[in-house]
Amino acid sequence: MSTASPSGATEELLRALAPRVLGALVRRHGQFDACEDAVQEALLAAALQWPESGVPDEPFAWLLTVASRRLVDGFRADSARRHREDAVFVEGERLVAEPTADALDAPPDEDDSLLVLLLCCDPSLSAPSQLALTLRAVGGLTTAQVAAAFLVPEATMAQRISRAKATLRRAGARFALTDDDTAERMGVVLHVLYLMFNEGYMASSGDVLARAELTTEAIRLTRMVHALLPGDGEVTGLLSLMLLTDARRAARATSGGDLIPLAEQDRMAWNHAEIAEGLALIEDALRATPLGPYQVQAAIAALHAEARAADETDWPQILALYRLLERLLPGNPIVSLNHAVAVAEVDGPRAALAFLDERDLDSRLGEATHRADAVRAHLLERAGSPRAARELYRAAARRTTSLPERRYLESRAAALD
Amino acid sequence: MIMIYDNAQSRELFTGPEGAALMGDMEALMAELRDSGEYLGGEALADPAQTRSVRVVDGVPAVTDGPLAEAKEHFGGYLMVECDSFERACEIARRWPSARFTPLEVRPLMSGGGEEM
Repeated sequence: MSTASPSGATEELLRALAPRVLGALVRRHGQFDACEDAVQEALLAAALQWPESGVPDEPFAWLLTVASRRLVDGFRADSARRHREDAVFVEGERLVAEPTADALDAPPDEDDSLLVLLLCCDPSLSAPSQLALTLRAVGGLTTAQVAAAFLVPEATMAQRISRAKATLRRAGARFALTDDDTAERMGVVLHVLYLMFNEGYMASSGDVLARAELTTEAIRLTRMVHALLPGDGEVTGLLSLMLLTDARRAARATSGGDLIPLAEQDRMAWNHAEIAEGLALIEDALRATPLGPYQVQAAIAALHAEARAADETDWPQILALYRLLERLLPGNPIVSLNHAVAVAEVDGPRAALAFLDERDLDSRLGEATHRADAVRAHLLERAGSPRAARELYRAAARRTTSLPERRYLESRAAALD
Repeated sequence: MIMIYDNAQSRELFTGPEGAALMGDMEALMAELRDSGEYLGGEALADPAQTRSVRVVDGVPAVTDGPLAEAKEHFGGYLMVECDSFERACEIARRWPSARFTPLEVRPLMSGGGEEM
């Protein structure tokens, strides 16, 4: 799809079908890596042909047929696998011969998308590899599109993806996951989707459009998982959290790309349709399912979203939710930092500084210690210690690797001169 | 970004009798970085004798031969890597063969993105 540019509707259809076709192939043949290559080729063929010849009556069967044929061609070409060829060949020929009948006999099982997502989130892969593979295999993105989203050269991303697939093969990825595997891996799946969202959301406005598409993709995939598992409270919580956070997109940076803190954002510019959907989702989840960390974070985002003005925010309730979150995610330094901000709103900045001193954050933040400095600087400013605040703003500005964040921190320091 | 510094002797070491072993170590590390997907790019720079420094003072351009800083070491090339951590980038720099003769600098890039404040 990097060369062809199918219409929006075709691309949407292809991306919805991609994980289901891959899931069906993997169930039949195993060999995730070969199947994934075959599906990519089928997607490319469809992207080239459908805009010309029209979408076939049975698009799923069409893709499955083409992908199966490519897979069989691949096996045939590989003489070292000759002994395995016959079995696969027979299966492949059957698919090629009667694609629509096959698809009608066994209508595409929706759960195949989830199977593919679970396979991409194999614990043997690093988080960046899980993300890249998920975007390609479940999101139906080309290697070039995934590379663009992560701002790396296509050759680099191709290496990473092929290495991830080799790792999966060596790890002996199982294609029939037990309920226990599924439960264990759902945590990783949600984390991968959460990282995908953050990767897109962290980029400010401006010329990095590819990253905004990551946010959209994370929401699309989380919606898909939610549709497959509507009763899972954490899936619902994560979708709600994404929608409530994404709703602030238009208000969180100036046209020049400078960050605007939550309290100063123009709440009229928030996306109120996304907020309404996010609020409805989290209310359902909190009522009907066991509590988990994504739900608590969505509940906090919901309280921010419901406040018509910053000074109407229900901080005591937010503080109570942070206490709960710290119990659910013990030792998470970012949670502690946000918790401190809530302490400051309820008990004052001195109490928040004492709260931070009790927790040895810097050792746990690693390279992100500038974030602790930035929060301390805010608290010192509010506590009436401008000189100490200015020094910490400057220290944080020097250490951040984010340009908008540096501009923001330097402007706070300059305001105290 | 890993910035590689050279001096007059260190460049020669790579073409001398030990050169083949040093180049072998370098190629093995490069193969590892390509394989892991961490390698983004890199170049070696031509000899500092080819350098000109350009500056504009009060609107008047001044062009002089040679690098900016009068130091024994000069900037010799760079590697761009994408790593899970800063520590991993430092480990790559430590294993780069020229680190045995001249220093390397490891510096994160500034990104256009920013966390919600």
